[in-house]
Amino acid sequence: MSAYLNTRVSLFSGRLWRDEELDALVSVADEEVADSLSRRGLMQLAAGYDSLAARHKDYRSLEHRIIAQILEEARVMLRPLSGSARSFLTFWTARFEISNVKLLLRSKMTGERPAAVLAQLIPMGAFGRLDTEDLAHAEDVVDLLRRLETGPYASIVRQARRAFEQNHDPFSLDAALDRAYYEGLTLRAQPLEETVGAPFRRLMASLIDRINLVWLLRYRFNYNLPPAQVYYLLVGSRYSLSGTQLQHLAALGSLEAVLAALPAAWQVRLNGTTDIPGVFARMESSAAEQAQRVLHSAAPAIARAFAYLILRERDLRAVRAVLRGRHLGLAEADIRQALQHQHAEVM
Amino acid sequence: MFRAEPLLKIQLMMLASEAQDAALSMARFGVFNPAPCTLDMLAESPAIAYREAWLEADARLSKLLEQCGDRGPLTLPEEAEAPTLADLQELNNWLKEVWSACLSCHENEAQMAEARSHLDVLEETLAKLERLNVDLAHLLRADCLLAVHIGILPVTGLKRVTEALAMTGHLVSRFDQVGEQVYAVIAGPRARHDEVQGLLAQAGWRELPVPGELRTHPQAARAWLESERTRLNTQSGAECQIMDGLREQFGPRLHEARLRLALARPLAEAALAGVRGKGGLAALSGWIPKRQLNALRATLDQHFHGRYWLDLREPAAAEVAEVPSLVRYPGWLKPFVPLVKSYGVPRYGEFDPALPFAFTYLLLFGAMFGDVGHGAVILLLAAALYRRLGRMAWVGMAAGAVSMLFGVLYGSIFGYEDIIEPFWLSPLHDPIRVLTIAVGFGVGFIVFTLLINAYNKAIAGHVSEALFDSTGVAGLVFYLGAVGSVVSFTGAADLADPAGVLAGLGIVTIAAYKWFEAKAGLGERILVTAIETLETGINLFANTLSFMRVAAFSLNHVALALAIFTLANGLDTAGHWFTIVLGNIVIIVLEGGIVAIQALRLMYYEGFSRFFNGDGTEFMPLRLSSQQAKV
Repeated sequence: MSAYLNTRVSLFSGRLWRDEELDALVSVADEEVADSLSRRGLMQLAAGYDSLAARHKDYRSLEHRIIAQILEEARVMLRPLSGSARSFLTFWTARFEISNVKLLLRSKMTGERPAAVLAQLIPMGAFGRLDTEDLAHAEDVVDLLRRLETGPYASIVRQARRAFEQNHDPFSLDAALDRAYYEGLTLRAQPLEETVGAPFRRLMASLIDRINLVWLLRYRFNYNLPPAQVYYLLVGSRYSLSGTQLQHLAALGSLEAVLAALPAAWQVRLNGTTDIPGVFARMESSAAEQAQRVLHSAAPAIARAFAYLILRERDLRAVRAVLRGRHLGLAEADIRQALQHQHAEVM
Repeated sequence: MFRAEPLLKIQLMMLASEAQDAALSMARFGVFNPAPCTLDMLAESPAIAYREAWLEADARLSKLLEQCGDRGPLTLPEEAEAPTLADLQELNNWLKEVWSACLSCHENEAQMAEARSHLDVLEETLAKLERLNVDLAHLLRADCLLAVHIGILPVTGLKRVTEALAMTGHLVSRFDQVGEQVYAVIAGPRARHDEVQGLLAQAGWRELPVPGELRTHPQAARAWLESERTRLNTQSGAECQIMDGLREQFGPRLHEARLRLALARPLAEAALAGVRGKGGLAALSGWIPKRQLNALRATLDQHFHGRYWLDLREPAAAEVAEVPSLVRYPGWLKPFVPLVKSYGVPRYGEFDPALPFAFTYLLLFGAMFGDVGHGAVILLLAAALYRRLGRMAWVGMAAGAVSMLFGVLYGSIFGYEDIIEPFWLSPLHDPIRVLTIAVGFGVGFIVFTLLINAYNKAIAGHVSEALFDSTGVAGLVFYLGAVGSVVSFTGAADLADPAGVLAGLGIVTIAAYKWFEAKAGLGERILVTAIETLETGINLFANTLSFMRVAAFSLNHVALALAIFTLANGLDTAGHWFTIVLGNIVIIVLEGGIVAIQALRLMYYEGFSRFFNGDGTEFMPLRLSSQQAKV
């Protein structure tokens, strides 16, 4: 089975975009975009780009097709997997369904019509585990949360409901959902870290450390939350930034002080950054390098598959930036500039 | 029986104001499967608002009926008309008002239930604090430098909260746990109290309000708890009376609301597939059996007196995947249909495997579990459980009967091989023959499935796949050649040369087809061709050997019986018969269950997976209402 997955990942890795190919996509003629996309295995995107009308479809449709592409590739990789590896990759794709949960919750807060919100949800295909039609017709946020608590994401939602009931703050909901999701992911990663070893652990470390550092900076200095609350909202970590280090960092009073208190290797990596998007971009770039190393190594198949998915998602965000720029009729120079910054977009 | 009924795609155009009645008529007609409308000129979706109103109203009604208990069968009057959108919205608003009225009663009841459990918690808490000998009044003093909270939080977050609170000089001390909730006391400097408010809210901390009455001597606190309990009981009685009043007040109209929503259901359901329209015109699209066309026209004429336009056409080749399958089965075959459908639904035009499934499944079950006595027990058990199992009992009875038939052929009754003479052969005495027959049956079965697959592909328009793919004619040629080679190798016949040519021709054709079909770079193409061609040979070989289990299980059946007899013969008379009876029960339950699953597995994985995509769409006619509704 691992031979199949290894072969699949190797074949898929040929679909990843190099910088010069992304650059070429910016300037290629409209008629050739579909061809460029299908050459990189983006059939779903190409299918939506082969006619003039389709080129001007809304941004959400583009987003949905990109996610459909990621889910399709994840589905292929899941075929030979079982046990903890299957559970982990399946949960990895659940991020998109958690986005749907957030969208449904927001719609209940704003009183949006069920039909309108249903049209905005990400189509999860075979990965869909929620009865969105039923959820969209919940009476209010609390009713929706109660219904969600009887479903597959009960453990994620339970904590969020308790937080919401205390202060009815949308931020509490989102923060609790995000935290519970990544806690669930690290829980599912644990058995794989033991069996697969260092390559997989390095990927998880780069993901969770990045999330923790960026959240810490954002909660502390954008939202001005007290240190104890910031620490509570981070993902319980057993990676490079330990709980004690995170407590220490959360207690510091400025971005510069936090960056100066990071381990030496991190300081080198983040040298010259002065803002949170900059930190995110450097950390993501470093995580991508890590994923590239794992992908092109003799690491176990599941680690390579995870590395590919990380890189593919990053790639597709760049492709989305280019296509959005083209839809909006932006100048090529502006799209290229946006491309340089798109990795700094908030998760 | 072997193929789905021919269907027609219809577009029924009518006045938009009559759309709900048209949908109702189609639901009464009983064989109309709604489908998306493809008329580009009708750009509007007039039934969306109708569906939304219906969904909201239906959800509210369900909640109200849970309270009122009006769940009996519903009889819809023959001539009743469906409500208009305005009627439906008015009904929805009324249901909202009723639900609000009931909700406040419901909420009050829930709050009282919560208050009761809260009192229980307080009582338990008090008992614990009594044991700790803590003076609550002293502990919770407001003018103290130490701020103290008593409350509950989820056990999963306790460690994290403790760590986070330690950053602000607070201590957490747990004193009890109920389920996933931990009871704890949090104490810290009052000056830093504000810093932890947000954290506690985020962590789902719930303060345990300790009322003034409880902040006193324990005996006085107990007396207060008792008086609170009495007060709640009195209040609860009053709420019950209000609820009963509401039931009496709204009951009859709620029943009428049930009727109206049942009548509105067809258009709301059809809207899901897509009712299109423009201005005062609406169009309903879907599939009907070709043979029902005249009946449909008569129904429409009777209700709309010519105020409609019916457009019909045959399914186009490109849309075959979306056409639903409607297959009519004779009554005796129907019990087997759910077993086929649990694998998948055949596509429109595809061969329907229900009939061969029924015969082959029974044959395999009987061959693996041939015993007159055991078969008779299964037959009688299935007959006795007819009311509980419904139609599925017929599958059990048929399996029992076939098991009895094979029992006669094998000469086996409750495992005894010496009571009746085998009519055909005894598996234990001639195992090689049994194995050969099982593999021979497997070869025939696989040939049959390959032929069916080629037929399915050909009628779906995939002629090249039908001819050259590994599950088409080329696969069949290779398989027959390979079987011929094996037969020659065993010396049973001299077919080596023609069989070798056939096998070679088949495998080369498959490889060439895979090569041309792989749309990928050179590396992937070579890989796909090599792996998939190799897979063809391995799969067919493995699938054929899979049928050896038929022989293995028939031998296993006898061997199990022998083991039981050996055990029983070492015991006294009572022990002997006890072991025989218990052993036979074990054989029937355990082996019978395993054989039933193995027969199903052979059908699904060695049969269906070869020719049956199972991705067809079941014909789902527009229905009047839920199952209780009667017309």
